[in-house]
Amino acid sequence: MFSLTLDVIHSALVAYYRLTEEEARGAEEDLYIWFQRLARRGGAGQMPVKLLRISLLSAACQYGRSFQLWKLGGEQSSDRELNDVLSREPDEVAGDLDRRFEEDRS
Amino acid sequence: MTGRVLPFRGRPLSSEAGLKAAERVLATPLDERAAKARTLHLEDPETLLALCGVLRERMGTSPASVREEAQYLYRFIESPKREIGLFDERDYFLGETALLAGTACRCLSEREESWIWFERAEAGFRHTMNAPGELSRLAYQRLAERLEERQLDLVLELLPSLIESFQKLGMPEDALKCRFLEGLAHVEKDEPAAAVAVFNQICSEAEERGFDRLLAEAYGNLIHAHGMMGEADAAIEASRRSIPILKRLDNRIALAKVTWGLAILLREGGHYAEAIDSYRKAQDEFGAIGMRADIAALNLVVADLLLEEGKSVEALHEIAAALPVISELKMAPEGMAALSLVRESARRQEINRQALRELHGYFQELQN
Repeated sequence: MFSLTLDVIHSALVAYYRLTEEEARGAEEDLYIWFQRLARRGGAGQMPVKLLRISLLSAACQYGRSFQLWKLGGEQSSDRELNDVLSREPDEVAGDLDRRFEEDRS
Repeated sequence: MTGRVLPFRGRPLSSEAGLKAAERVLATPLDERAAKARTLHLEDPETLLALCGVLRERMGTSPASVREEAQYLYRFIESPKREIGLFDERDYFLGETALLAGTACRCLSEREESWIWFERAEAGFRHTMNAPGELSRLAYQRLAERLEERQLDLVLELLPSLIESFQKLGMPEDALKCRFLEGLAHVEKDEPAAAVAVFNQICSEAEERGFDRLLAEAYGNLIHAHGMMGEADAAIEASRRSIPILKRLDNRIALAKVTWGLAILLREGGHYAEAIDSYRKAQDEFGAIGMRADIAALNLVVADLLLEEGKSVEALHEIAAALPVISELKMAPEGMAALSLVRESARRQEINRQALRELHGYFQELQN
């Protein structure tokens, strides 16, 4: 499932949150490790694939947002689109990504 | 705008290494663990994940040790504040260890403590990615606690919503587990036929889906319900089905309840001496896993049986053995009222049998 979602995650980190390719790869490694453990949590053993995917996309967006905010050091970016995405809740962005993922697969 | 700096860490343990680390942690005395935290990999999320899994499995075998271990882990993670894993993992482990501690306290009838641990679990789970799923598991434990406090109507009112939550979340085993509370509420309301219907439905679904643990526990409860109705064949058939699975799972709580259920059957059949032997056996089994409240409850049941046989002096001894534990439990008002009557009648050496029955009726839910 992680592999299937990886393209969407990568695109969100690079295109939405403007992480470099190298930064995005580092993020994806961390997300992979985290996701393997998420799938083995007490309440997640029976979690349907969709909920696992939304949790993964949500974590990716939180990661991208936190990392970019840290890089900006509290300043606004000159990139309007980046500022727009940073002003949104990561869960909301993740919901959009999930809808796109489902549309692409249908 | 503010941002949280995410920690970048070295390669963590594999899941196999985490399991081995968990075994080493559990083999290390509690007071030595903090000093050895680094070599034990106690802060590694794989170790903690494995520890939580082991403790979850041990709940039916040794709730007292689960309580001790889970409380230790919660305190270790919580203070001094430790960075655990990635993203929401620290919050998850705080929630999970608190839920384990609270559930163990519930099994041990330490009600005030269990409510406090459930509050802590909620504080952790609120910040996790899968908060609806984790909070629903917590809601189940809270309802189970309310059942033990005999808030039966509230349990029956809130159950459908919780079942719906589990179904929406795609957690069918948890959804089915909720129906146990419905069956047990019927037992508490002295509606054994309704309880039998519910537990039979649970058995069918659990068998179909391969939920072994739920299947065995449902049969265990059927022993009790059929026993209440004096249906010996059905009770014995249920015990025949449940015992092998419970033994394989080493679910000692459920096995002790099976013994209790068989004692009820013997009593309903008028075999008082054999029933008392069976109650004693159940007491021994509860004693081996630290479930003192259940032992006290059975003292009252045995006292009632002894009175049935005209053995009032022996009955008083049973009551005297139970009272200190019952007092320590800080029961709800209706339980306390019955307790006062029994205590007073014991003092006068003229047992108020109705009060005794109300008191052990109050305690009957402890076997569930």
